[in-house]
Amino acid sequence: MSDAHTLDPQQLRTWLNGAALHDAAAFRSLYDATSAKLFGFALRILGKRELAEEVLQESFVAIWHNAGSYQSHLAAPMTWMTTIVRNKAFDLLRRSDVAAEIDGDPFDAAIMNALHDPAATPIEALELSRDAKALAYCMSALEGLHRQVVGLAFFHDLSHSEVAQQMALPIGTVKTWIRRSLEKLKACLAKGDRP
Amino acid sequence: MNIRDNAPLREKLAAEYVLGTLKGGARRRFDGYLHNDAALRRLVIEWQDRLAPMAEFSTAVQPRKQVWAGIERRLNLGPARAGWLESLNFWRWLGVASTAMAALLVIVIGTRVLDQPQLDYVATLTDAKSQTALVLTGDTQHKALTVRLVGNAPVASDKTLQLWAVPKQGNPRSLGLLADKGEVKLALGSNAIGDDVALLAVSLEPKGGSPDPNGPTGPILYKGAWVRVM
Repeated sequence: MSDAHTLDPQQLRTWLNGAALHDAAAFRSLYDATSAKLFGFALRILGKRELAEEVLQESFVAIWHNAGSYQSHLAAPMTWMTTIVRNKAFDLLRRSDVAAEIDGDPFDAAIMNALHDPAATPIEALELSRDAKALAYCMSALEGLHRQVVGLAFFHDLSHSEVAQQMALPIGTVKTWIRRSLEKLKACLAKGDRP
Repeated sequence: MNIRDNAPLREKLAAEYVLGTLKGGARRRFDGYLHNDAALRRLVIEWQDRLAPMAEFSTAVQPRKQVWAGIERRLNLGPARAGWLESLNFWRWLGVASTAMAALLVIVIGTRVLDQPQLDYVATLTDAKSQTALVLTGDTQHKALTVRLVGNAPVASDKTLQLWAVPKQGNPRSLGLLADKGEVKLALGSNAIGDDVALLAVSLEPKGGSPDPNGPTGPILYKGAWVRVM
């Protein structure tokens, strides 16, 4: 699958606009292009295929109903859709009392390696959109533990104290790391840094 | 606490709101601020654009086919032509209205064709403005269906008119292609006059007829319903 091609934001926007007009064919194309990526994401959060499938289904039902209110000038299409998937996944976890298994590494191994040592595993080689590559570069510039703390919070809906517990760190440390990491990411993404 | 004038705090809260570490009462308060603060909503969207690509740090996994089937079912998208089926009820409703017109016409035609083949079905098909565009007569004994255009219905040279019987359930059935003026004789089978036929419709199709065997692909120009004469 060539992400650079299928996840072209302009194309996704066109399909979203089609879905807003209740064009079922455009909606199907949108699903075909994005479902594997969104499913992989839901699976990463939830850990169980059945739950991830339920969330993917709910998410696309929501995408269909809300496509009309999607404002293309505000958020990138993938941002909008992944936010829906993430919220639905966290809702399901809260609703069902299912505890998602949290392993230490919030990202898949290939990404972890590339973020850890971009010289050995080039970020370019990963199947990522332009935005995700930029974020990967900036995250690779963070210290390993800081990166892990940010990733844990993002993928598992954890509070500062839950991250602290998970990582066996003082909560003050976690708060500081997260604040600094977010500041660094913002500055790095603004500059378009390539560490 | 007023956060409007505290730019660093707004930035920090927006970032943690998106990351998810802002929880409980603090998150609910922030939700409240978002309501009447467009600039704050803008900050949140910027942070979503920054952090959401982290979602792609997971490997793509193909979901099973039944996921799409479930979405299709829940949204009632149906295979293809949802638009056609959705508007079916509207046509049926209109069909009732044109039935009365057709009944009048039956008397006129019926009295004039005593010596002619047995016409036992009549239908008038009307356009969107309820103007009669076609008159259909059916002769079940001779299995003949005659379609007469009232006036001209100009059709582009690369298009053609196609006549359909729309059943109460299932796919529309093609009865044949029409000329854009004069009269066309078609075979009249049970597919055209069965009890389950709710409506007759004419669609505008590419030359040679609808490429989809299960129904029209173009717009519906005329519609009407059978009236049984005898």
